[in-house]
Amino acid sequence: MHFIFSDKVVLLFDFWSVHSPAGMVLSVVVVLLLAVLYEGIKVAKVKLLHQALKSLPPPADQQLIAETDGESTCSDSPPVSRTRLRWFLCHFGQSLIHVAQVVIGYFMMLAVMSYNTWIFLGVVLGSAVGYYVAYPLLSTV
Amino acid sequence: MDHSHHAGMSYMDNNTMSPSHHHPTTSVSHSHGGGNDNMKMMPMTFYFGFKNVELLFSRVVINTAGEMAGAFVAVFLLAMFYEGLKIARESLLRKSQVSIRYNSMPVPGPNGTILMETHKTVGQQMLSFPHLLQTVLHIIQVVISYFLMLIFMTYNGYLCIAVAAGAGTGYFLFSWKKAVVVDITEHCH
Repeated sequence: MHFIFSDKVVLLFDFWSVHSPAGMVLSVVVVLLLAVLYEGIKVAKVKLLHQALKSLPPPADQQLIAETDGESTCSDSPPVSRTRLRWFLCHFGQSLIHVAQVVIGYFMMLAVMSYNTWIFLGVVLGSAVGYYVAYPLLSTV
Repeated sequence: MDHSHHAGMSYMDNNTMSPSHHHPTTSVSHSHGGGNDNMKMMPMTFYFGFKNVELLFSRVVINTAGEMAGAFVAVFLLAMFYEGLKIARESLLRKSQVSIRYNSMPVPGPNGTILMETHKTVGQQMLSFPHLLQTVLHIIQVVISYFLMLIFMTYNGYLCIAVAAGAGTGYFLFSWKKAVVVDITEHCH
């Protein structure tokens, strides 16, 4: 098995069969955008986590605060449970983003596995563009 | 160039497939043929099925729905374990590095001046137990990540969903506590 230059490839799904230069260009663009999205998701996950940590104190801290307050917790318990719910939803959303990242990563691996050079170049270029665009956003925390 | 053996993307008719040459499907290019030595052809698009699914090892072949359900659970747990292993390695590394960071502290000098005492322990020592443990866990992590990649490469829809769902569940369960102790200025991944 080796890399070849070809206009014909079947990518990932049965309906995604490319058999013309125009179709190949479109497929390369799609794969490029997929790679950009992958790099973007990586940065988005980190930024979301920082945002959540800044605005929502995590449940372990809440527990500690509730325990040290002692008897005055009865008036504090509704806000505590609401914050726990918000933290839970935020973390659940992050897990969904993680699943998307895993799936897109595997899709990119399978696209490269088609051994089509154009697709491979699209993945590499998309990763480069995505990293170039997304990485500076990390420092703007 | 004998296409009479192939019906669409079918790879199950290994009784009639000749091992001398493989030409996949309806595409004209001979870009992918999978393994040329075994009788089966590697699928190149996603499919849902549970008949004659070879999973990682030659003896492990799934033929019934029950076996596929068992394989689904096993792959799900493997992906969950992988996420947990990642988190565990991170926390172990952080724990073993905190003690090293405390080694550079100012100490009062003899004449009332402040001397900076710095220990040049960059990271861990090579033969220390935490580093050996990290290495062993790293090897396990690499092997499991390649196994998950190979499982995803079977293109079986059920198994791929198991990998994705296991990764998501593992991240959700194990990263819950990790998010509490993460450093704000850390942005590596």
